[in-house]
Amino acid sequence: MIHRSWTVREDILELFRSIGRASMTYDIQDSHSGNMAIRLLDASGGDQIIITATGSQKGDLDPSQICVLSATETDYGYYKASSETDIHQRILSIEGVRASIHAHTKDLTIATLDDADKPNRPPDFVPIDPLGFHHLGDHVHVDWIAVPSGSPEMADLIPKRLADHPATVIQAHGTFARGRTLKEAFFLQCVANNAGAVIRAAKTLDVNVEELRRRMKADAGAFFAYPPVPYAVEGDEFSEFPEESEILKEFHKTGARVFESWLSPFHTGSMSVRGVSDLLYAPKASMPRDVGGPLLKVPLRPDSSDPPELALHKTIYAETDFQTVMHCYLPEAEAYAHFRYPGEDAPADRIVPIDAEGSFLYLVIPVVPPKTDAETLIRLLHDYKLVVVRGGGVWSVGSQSLSEVLHHPSSLREICLYRIGAFEQGLDLRKMEPKKAKKW
Amino acid sequence: MPEPLYGFHGRYLEIDLTRGESRVRPLAAGLIADYLGGRGLATRLFYDAVDPLVDPLGPENVFVIAASPLIGTNAPTAGRGHMVFKSPLTGVIGTSNSGGTWGAAFKATGYDAVLVKGRAPSPVFIDITPERTEIVPADRLWGLDAHQTTDALTADVESGVRPKVLCIGPAGENLVRIAAVVNDRNRVYGRCGPGAVWGSKNLKAIRVAGKAKIQVHDKERYQSGYDQALYLMKQAPVTKRLLRELGTSGLVELINVINMLPHRNFQDSLHVEENLEAISGERLAKTLLERAGGCFLCPIGCQRHTRIESEDGTSEKGEGPEYETVVMMGAVCDIYDLEAITRANYRCNELGLDTMSFGGTVACAMELFESGRLRPEEAGGLDLRFGNAALLEPLARETAVRRGAGALIAEGSFRLAERCGRPDLSMSVKRLEIPGYDPRASFTQALGYMTSPSGACHLRGGYAVSLAFFGGTKEIPRFSLLQSPLSVRAMQNKGILQDSLGVCRFTGFAFDVGPWARMMTGVTGLDFSEARLEEIANRIATLERLFNVEAGVSVEDDLLPPRFSEIPIVVAGEERVVSRDAQERMRRDYYIVRGWDADGRPTESTLRELGIRRGRS
Ligand code: SF4
Repeated sequence: MIHRSWTVREDILELFRSIGRASMTYDIQDSHSGNMAIRLLDASGGDQIIITATGSQKGDLDPSQICVLSATETDYGYYKASSETDIHQRILSIEGVRASIHAHTKDLTIATLDDADKPNRPPDFVPIDPLGFHHLGDHVHVDWIAVPSGSPEMADLIPKRLADHPATVIQAHGTFARGRTLKEAFFLQCVANNAGAVIRAAKTLDVNVEELRRRMKADAGAFFAYPPVPYAVEGDEFSEFPEESEILKEFHKTGARVFESWLSPFHTGSMSVRGVSDLLYAPKASMPRDVGGPLLKVPLRPDSSDPPELALHKTIYAETDFQTVMHCYLPEAEAYAHFRYPGEDAPADRIVPIDAEGSFLYLVIPVVPPKTDAETLIRLLHDYKLVVVRGGGVWSVGSQSLSEVLHHPSSLREICLYRIGAFEQGLDLRKMEPKKAKKW
Repeated sequence: MPEPLYGFHGRYLEIDLTRGESRVRPLAAGLIADYLGGRGLATRLFYDAVDPLVDPLGPENVFVIAASPLIGTNAPTAGRGHMVFKSPLTGVIGTSNSGGTWGAAFKATGYDAVLVKGRAPSPVFIDITPERTEIVPADRLWGLDAHQTTDALTADVESGVRPKVLCIGPAGENLVRIAAVVNDRNRVYGRCGPGAVWGSKNLKAIRVAGKAKIQVHDKERYQSGYDQALYLMKQAPVTKRLLRELGTSGLVELINVINMLPHRNFQDSLHVEENLEAISGERLAKTLLERAGGCFLCPIGCQRHTRIESEDGTSEKGEGPEYETVVMMGAVCDIYDLEAITRANYRCNELGLDTMSFGGTVACAMELFESGRLRPEEAGGLDLRFGNAALLEPLARETAVRRGAGALIAEGSFRLAERCGRPDLSMSVKRLEIPGYDPRASFTQALGYMTSPSGACHLRGGYAVSLAFFGGTKEIPRFSLLQSPLSVRAMQNKGILQDSLGVCRFTGFAFDVGPWARMMTGVTGLDFSEARLEEIANRIATLERLFNVEAGVSVEDDLLPPRFSEIPIVVAGEERVVSRDAQERMRRDYYIVRGWDADGRPTESTLRELGIRRGRS
């Protein structure tokens, strides 16, 4: 008999707590919904599952609400564990999978609702945003299940879906995602919800989503700017510039704001501060307060092995005097980049703020096609500080601080929300736009 | 038919006082495109006209005052002039800026700049109108103070446009190295001793009057920048309220909160709270302030029009004091007597003295005096101990005429401290007195002083404090070795652009260059995108450095006095110095980001990239 401690290691408890809190912040759980699990070997080699307790509040997990149970057999750990433990147990037996999360990803759940007679097989969800497409694939399964919570059907179906897809949707319930680590599973949940948010906003704006999907399917390479870097499960603890304590603090503060204000899903986007020969680089810009991510010191000199994201940071610094750069994936802007004014054939090449603050801060915000060359992008950044790349996220630059570079996408979110809201109410956006914006 | 000119007149005046001649010279649009106006244009014209090795007080020295294409529009604060010369205080480029109305009045004479060289055989003033330029004898003005000179030169004008006067007081006439040039009675080109350059040329004043107008190329584009600028100024706390209600001395207590307010010749930054309250902007507003005022087209209005009532029932009126005056003549001298500071400030404005260098030099003298390095007999019998408020006013008078201890103060702190065998007690960089922000409380401020082209100037070196504490979204780390060189470049560049656009530094509390870029493009029809402005700022900074290098500046001149690396002050509970290592590292990195070599010399490739011609034309 294996004697197992009910109490989990401090670092694991902290991990569950921080991801739990982050999931509340990102609004992909209700007060008690969802569950999280990981599989690991304990000190004596025992194969364990660590899972949240049934009915636990993910925003406030007590040590007693993290259950420890056998990965391979039924033991006392089941008494308190999530009602969906069976599902997680099977997900965690997929090769290479060490973590799974079930979340109430409301945007994606709403985007995948239908009113067809049941039972039915709902259509797959097809993301149109770069994060969704590259991290979830060109489709995500959506299943209707008669008893969509903790049922044997779910325990049967979901692990099968997740065997070859990182995430899957149970209609009108939520998403299951797997990962090599709990952070990766959370990352996928956030990316999935973000993909739903993009579709919802696009539909609100009368964007022809099906046509976009056709174009994307025909040539995904042309539809997006460049593939985001694959999710790295290692290195989150790297901090290569501890001596720069003030800047370090700024990175943490800014990263938390990016995440908490929904400017980019968990561990997506990037930000940097330029030094004289190096840049300080956060390749996972969206970092909840107590989760963090890698903070690297990278030579400013271009390197042929640089991923496109990092290469663009370096190019911006090489060509300008800006001191800070941020790239993020703002769902409202992603959707808005496809907006066409009624009666027009092509998507708009600018976002014109209609709110008081937005219109004085930015007369217009340029929207450029996915394959815009770096020279054009930099020229626009010079003049507007903020550029939306259709299928490629939002770039912003600052003359001094991370706080400054953060303010741009944060303002843009409000600008987009106001425009989307006005459009939703049937208001004439053209009439609401300041006249002078037409010249820019 | 010649191409119409937008925003500028396309000509400048060249005046040779030795020959008593003035010429109208064409100003190519290319110069505006490459150097904007104001500081940039003046620097280029100056660089082309002067040998960097000239004696600053010799007839070969030249000064240039330039306006910007924005002057003549209704752009907020766009009325400032900028003067460039070789400084008799520092021996490097002197670059100084003034508000008021003179800059706008000068532009209305139909010229974009005026370059003055040579030396008149006897005192003269220059009279400029669109119709004619005259060099007029000024023996009757010599010896008058700036107010008297202004009154005299405006009194004898019978009709037409009311002229504006830029002049020196007795300090400039007596070649005091910290002498200022005064316009609108109380606005000054204060730093680096331009008054002495004028005095050495026997030039008492430049009077201007005119109604020449400029054309705007694209009104709509101009207006969009204007609207944005005004909106942001109405929104930002410093520009909408603080400066109008409390003036710049509203900063006194704020700067103390961040442990940046110097004390006793920068020996520490510790003040008794009630003392500071006694010299604060709040106290000034409650006691001496009559009304706030503003420079030309300024919606901010930081000027302090004040009045001192004496016990005998008399009163006197004047302007100021500003933050820098309060700190340099006050806290740095351990003096917390607002009336004494204000009276001394009035005298400095009349006599044509830079209040900052005066305060800094007095503080240095006090430390030398207390340490026995300056003997009482050398001090002309004055009690030069710290805290002696009663000596400020008489010492200002003596300085202007180089009498008693004033003869020592007239040379500036470095020459004084060197004479007493303790040059390390001069709190200066390149011999220019350090302003009222302690560099130990911000690396960015420290590096700004080190690399400012004109010596330790908070405005030319980058207005770090505006970002260190109330920078809003742009607030930057105060102690980052990594970021400081880049932050300093960015802030210096922003200052260069403001000086070259003829606008006030304080607009920077509300916005960067974006609205100016649109206004400039709208006014001139030339491409003044932000990228282009960035390039222009880099060009101007490197041209200034080129002059300094040719004038003999070396890496050793780009360091702080030893006090700042040796004696710590406490900032937010931590002891702080700017160590020699830190200074050297930041200096090295700053040179790299500027495209200068390890000795701080602009490289050939940087000069090529920026399109800077070496040598005189
Ligand atoms: S803010 Fe003060 S110094 Fe600046 S232009 Fe206005 S009144 Fe003059």
